[in-house]
Amino acid sequence: MAGDDAVIEVDRVVTRFGAQAVHDGVSFAVRRGTLVALIGGSGTGKSVLLREIIGLQRPTEGRIRLLGTDMWSSPPDALEAVRRRFGMMFQDGALFSSLTVAQNVAVPLIEHASVPPGLLEPLIRLRLAQAGLGPEVAGKMPSELSGGMRKRAAIARALALEPEVLFLDEPTSGLDPTTARGFDALVRSLVDDLGITVFLVTHDLDTLLTVVDRIIVLARGKVLADGPVREILAVDDPWIRSYFSVRATVDS
Amino acid sequence: MNDAPRDTRPRAHLERASDAAGDVLRLTGSWRLAGLEAIDTELRALQLPARLTVDASQLAELDSAAALALLSHLPPGVKWRGLAANDTRIIEQVRSRIEGVPDLPPHRRESAFEAIGRRANGIARMGHGHLAFLGAAVLGIVGTILRPRRLRVRELSAQFEQVCLNAIPVVALVTLLIGVVVTYLLGLQAKQYGANIFVVDGIGIGATREFAPIIVAIIVAGRSGAAFTAQLGSMRMTEETDAIQTLGLSPLDVLVLPRVIALMIAMPLLVFIGDVMSLLGGMLIAEPMLDITPTTFLERLRDALDIKHVYVGLSKAPVFALAIAVIGCHLGMTVERDTRAVGMATTSTVVQSIVSVILLDAAFAIFYQELGI
Repeated sequence: MAGDDAVIEVDRVVTRFGAQAVHDGVSFAVRRGTLVALIGGSGTGKSVLLREIIGLQRPTEGRIRLLGTDMWSSPPDALEAVRRRFGMMFQDGALFSSLTVAQNVAVPLIEHASVPPGLLEPLIRLRLAQAGLGPEVAGKMPSELSGGMRKRAAIARALALEPEVLFLDEPTSGLDPTTARGFDALVRSLVDDLGITVFLVTHDLDTLLTVVDRIIVLARGKVLADGPVREILAVDDPWIRSYFSVRATVDS
Repeated sequence: MNDAPRDTRPRAHLERASDAAGDVLRLTGSWRLAGLEAIDTELRALQLPARLTVDASQLAELDSAAALALLSHLPPGVKWRGLAANDTRIIEQVRSRIEGVPDLPPHRRESAFEAIGRRANGIARMGHGHLAFLGAAVLGIVGTILRPRRLRVRELSAQFEQVCLNAIPVVALVTLLIGVVVTYLLGLQAKQYGANIFVVDGIGIGATREFAPIIVAIIVAGRSGAAFTAQLGSMRMTEETDAIQTLGLSPLDVLVLPRVIALMIAMPLLVFIGDVMSLLGGMLIAEPMLDITPTTFLERLRDALDIKHVYVGLSKAPVFALAIAVIGCHLGMTVERDTRAVGMATTSTVVQSIVSVILLDAAFAIFYQELGI
């Protein structure tokens, strides 16, 4: 169903919690080097789908391939290998609370990459800078950071191993508009400058309308619409219309 | 793509050469984080001239970690040629991100002297906090007695179920076994002197006056004290305690007093169960080991065990309960808003509760000794 450069392939995924079907045949593929957003109303299983793609939660039926590896039928070492090739930023950062920011970023580097000792510190500094953080936050504990800085630190940790794909769960939720736009620019530059594929779940219309290449709309257990922002805006569906009409009201 | 695509990529490599452009450094292969160690070794081995052209036309790929290693070794005025557009962007990005950025501040270790001072200060503050909290709790209890409608009966009964009814099985089991063990050890000694019957005196007075209250207090500290800290601590994390305050309710009345009062009622009851069970344990082992039948055991117990020993044991229970509940609630209500802090506070509650129970027990021993009870 997808070409060679598809990094995420979701094929007829069905997810049921008891009698309730959250996904009822969801399929899409994401090409390398694009910034794709997954949207949908509350309870449409966006976060569940994200967790299924990265191998945290097993779908009831269907196949998911990430970077060419089937996430639910591959041997453990293949999964181990693929885990080093993507990064994930959880909604509230999920930084290790007993480690400083620099130590958080160092965890994947120390565990999975043989970084020469002299390069470890410059590399941590680079990762922090790539996430838009100065070196002064390096020694701070996660509890001392604001929400936006925590998310940036989480991005720095997710970027540590130079992932090919980066997953973001609601990257701008809980941030003020200025910080959120800075975050959008940051995510866009990861795609443009570093060639990373970014897949995010969001509710932020500004993110969707300014930096995203493609939107996938989940509704009623299926992919309701899938395409560039312009096309999604033109789709004649009551949910999509009302979702984007908030924006139109503000603009006029 | 297969399972380990990295291994099939050409290794990163560099060569020195000279051509019309002067000294040239030719980059080949795949320059990625995975090969950073080899890249670093190769770069270190080279003595690079100040005027240098880097030829990247053979470069398969470059990531930002490898670019960082390269930039940190190359002289500043280096010329590039044959660099692909996306690699140029990566080089530029890394260069702009590392230029002018100061080093990470060094990780400062505190000296032993500083550490002792900080810990001592922390303990003093915490002790002060405990006393203030104890004062507030006692005032709250007095206020509740004067105005019983202030009491939250539903919360109190829920807490009572938790700390008393649900604790009965474990308290009963542990004290029964302690009764068996203590009687057995006493019996081993007493048998040598043919003083079998005095074992009943020993277990009777020992269990009711000391063992049962202490054992029950330790179980309660581990069970309920820790639970208080964890419950209140996570409520603070989710800002529930703040919500209670903004709704015009007092966290002391809603959260703390029901717990303190429930534990103060529960503890004497649990100690009584502990008394009965440890005596039962003693009775069970006395017959096979010392030939003391249950009838003899109970008759001897009636003669030897003065009821004042039971009262002394029971009188300690509410005091232990107050200490455990105050420590548990205070550490829960003052926990910092981070996940690690709740775990540390819970551990701290158990340790402090047990230590304070033992200290209070020692104080009671002296107190009753002086009173001649």
